[in-house]
Amino acid sequence: MVTRLPEVDVVIVGMGWAGGILAKELAEAGLRVVGLERGAMRKPGVDYGVPAVRDELRYRSRLDLMQDVARDTLTIRNNPNQEALPMRRLGSFLPGEGVGGTAIHWSGHTWRWTDMEFKIRSYYEERYGRNFIPDDMTIQDWGISYDELEPYYEHFERIAAVSGKAGNIRGEIQEGGNPFEAPRQNEYSLPALSPILANIKFTEAAQNLGYHPFPRPSANASIAYTNPDGVNYSACQYCGYCQRFGCEANAKGSPHVAVIPLAMKNPNFELRVQAWASKVIKDSDGTRVTGVAYTDLMTGEEYEQPAGIVILAAYAINNVHLMLLSEIGQPYDPVTQTGIIGKNYSYQANRATVMFFEGRKFNPFINAGGSYATIDDFNTNLDFDREPHDFIGGYTVAGGFNTYLPIGWRPVPNGTPRWGTAWKEAAASGFQSAMRINATGSVMANRYNYYDLDSTYKNALGQPLMRMTFDYHDNEHKMLAHSARIMNDMAASMNPTAVNPAGDGTTPWSVVPYQSTHNTGGAIMGTSPATSAVNKYLQNWDYHNLFVVGANVYPHNSAYNPTGPLGALTYWTADAIKNRYINNPGSLV
Amino acid sequence: MRNTKYILDIALVGLALSVLVPCSALAQGDTSRGKQLYVECAACHTFNNDDDELGPGLQGLFGRQAGALEDYYYSTVLSNSGIVWNADTLNAFIADPQAAIPLNRMPYSGLPDAQDRADLVEYLRDASE
Repeated sequence: MVTRLPEVDVVIVGMGWAGGILAKELAEAGLRVVGLERGAMRKPGVDYGVPAVRDELRYRSRLDLMQDVARDTLTIRNNPNQEALPMRRLGSFLPGEGVGGTAIHWSGHTWRWTDMEFKIRSYYEERYGRNFIPDDMTIQDWGISYDELEPYYEHFERIAAVSGKAGNIRGEIQEGGNPFEAPRQNEYSLPALSPILANIKFTEAAQNLGYHPFPRPSANASIAYTNPDGVNYSACQYCGYCQRFGCEANAKGSPHVAVIPLAMKNPNFELRVQAWASKVIKDSDGTRVTGVAYTDLMTGEEYEQPAGIVILAAYAINNVHLMLLSEIGQPYDPVTQTGIIGKNYSYQANRATVMFFEGRKFNPFINAGGSYATIDDFNTNLDFDREPHDFIGGYTVAGGFNTYLPIGWRPVPNGTPRWGTAWKEAAASGFQSAMRINATGSVMANRYNYYDLDSTYKNALGQPLMRMTFDYHDNEHKMLAHSARIMNDMAASMNPTAVNPAGDGTTPWSVVPYQSTHNTGGAIMGTSPATSAVNKYLQNWDYHNLFVVGANVYPHNSAYNPTGPLGALTYWTADAIKNRYINNPGSLV
Repeated sequence: MRNTKYILDIALVGLALSVLVPCSALAQGDTSRGKQLYVECAACHTFNNDDDELGPGLQGLFGRQAGALEDYYYSTVLSNSGIVWNADTLNAFIADPQAAIPLNRMPYSGLPDAQDRADLVEYLRDASE
């Protein structure tokens, strides 16, 4: 039996950054808001305190804060000719579950994506001609501009305690920042994090080669800080337990610190945890959605929560899954290239070079999530001519440490025996004497990278699993080969005693080793319902009271991590709902 | 073995506090400056012991035995320290928490300036009443 609950103004699925921000903003605007979170209630005092949180086995190896794949997972394949099989263990990407979502365990890297991404097709066509873009590369403009988002980027950076050094303030290049970034109106609220030895060595090497290193902007408070909403952050202690951990010092910008507690103090907001949203309910006339169906995981009871506005703010993959399960929009078909939902799934492409400096001690246990010196010379740098290298997009290169703990970080020089005394000696020495430089690259949308519903495997609610079809294509292979050359040359210039060079990497993508929790696309934004699922306000084209907020709206993926634009777009959408939609419900474009 | 180490730690705490105490008495605190410095603490501590925060509540701090709040999960070393919080013990603790009470749970590296500590402690005295 399904219990139908009293109607509210807004129901939000998912309590990460997107859901948390919208819960706070819309409750403050006077709307009655219900938040549904599939995972558990988690609070810093109970769950992230010292010493319990410093448990590499529990959090980093056994992934305590992540989605429970015994309950809901995806099936995976590299191309449409393969049979997809269920991902029974998490590996390549790690969606979070619980109040705070994936932003409990993120590292805090907060970038401002530029018009180079938002106008990607126009940019490459104008500069290199239409034929430069391969036929199977389904990139498209986003329908939004950097200038529109700039104030929202700034607001999110201030809310999330982003520490950094501006490189371009109103067109003036700033010493020490990223000279290739888009113009900012203002400096960061918090100074950049203190550099660690690996940052200093990378910075010197990059400068010697004529590149432009800068400290990575990250939501790790470099000093104690009170944000514009009055939320207090402690100074980061460089404890080395950031990525995959909740913050033990309340120094990491996270929704369960910055926005959800404020929403929960507001009587307009009610949070329901262990509430698994299974479907968006549609009105019979096909113009509105009327609420969300969910299952209480503690009791197994099923509920319908009617609402005037439905907001999907779950992890990017799960937002698209809900769209497909609810039969909202036409599913994408890669053969006929018709349909929208599931289209343009994208990911990131990474390579690393490991260097050994015998006798040096890097102390890799001391770092913040954002302890990276980075160069953008092969990413947002417009002077980097892609034509001779024949690829679209780009990559950042960085040197540093983020949560390099002894179970996971055991670098040994290539050729070291795989076991025994020699391995033990090399592992013990390598922990202290190695540093890594890594390239993080974009992935362009491709006709054959997409999501649909699996016809064989089902989740714990009996619904079809999401099926992911993904592989890297020629564009990424060319880019990764370029990045490997750049990193290996850089490593050689640093005179290490040994080096494990980055390879070209032409093998298929594998879901097993961890690579990046930056899954984008599938329910994308754009300028027309013929080519996108939502408009620039993340409002669904078919159902005007349905908003889909997450990295699923990105039509392709960049070298930059996705949370910066996600925070900005969420505040942008919140403004559009508060200032326009509730007064005049209907299409916002 | 482990117990021996704790006993040793507690002995060291006593030693550390007794060494630091004489210096602290010199500085006179400025409450309004202390309030500004309290931003260092505010992310984890409030003056309402019913709040559910990362750090224990500071309401009624002065004169309280260290590790005395029933609902808070303290480190053994803090609970066993025998410390009673007052201007001198707080001053010594805040200066370098891990040196003062090794293995305590507070992730804070300390406030090195004596005048800063005097101001902060004066504010804590006012605000915790």
